[in-house]
Amino acid sequence: MDNRIRELRARYDLTQEELAKRVGVRRETIVFLEKGKYNPSLKLAYDISRALKSTIEEVFVFAEESGDS
Amino acid sequence: MKKIIPFLVVSILVLGTTLLWFMSSGFSVSGVEAWQFVIIILLVAIGFYVAFSRLRRVNRGEPVEDEFSKKILQKASSISYYVSLYLWVAMIFVNDRTDMDTEVLLGTGILGMAVIWVVLVVFFKVKGLKNG
Repeated sequence: MDNRIRELRARYDLTQEELAKRVGVRRETIVFLEKGKYNPSLKLAYDISRALKSTIEEVFVFAEESGDS
Repeated sequence: MKKIIPFLVVSILVLGTTLLWFMSSGFSVSGVEAWQFVIIILLVAIGFYVAFSRLRRVNRGEPVEDEFSKKILQKASSISYYVSLYLWVAMIFVNDRTDMDTEVLLGTGILGMAVIWVVLVVFFKVKGLKNG
């Protein structure tokens, strides 16, 4: 699963630490999400999407769409 | 704090018991016991490191645990359980073919389980949990 967290975070001028605080996780978790090394729970995906003023589909691109099987 | 104190208490208890063992043996340990002593000290050091890094997170206003860290612990624990079963089979095999003392065998097995768990936690912290 790909995601656009880094891009959207830059758009809203948020640091990894600020985003982590807004969604209630460690900064380390945001780092792993941006690197694509962790697939979040539905709740965390929803919280991140809300913090980035986007929908889940805009932030996270699922395997079939990204061609990553 | 309730997620920090247990780490400190267990680390202090292990350290205290190890020092007691070391003193009762007259400060002289054999080859295998020396290795066990070094591994215990390393594990205690990791325990203190985890406790203090959690304390730093509290001071920074970060959560001590989140879903990613919990999943790493869950996955490391479940895999280390299966690996530990193989470890004990291997230890029994070694015990049958050598004259290893039962205490040394048990100590090595228990320390092996702890080391396997720590190695798996570090592995998942580096590799991530893409399909976890």
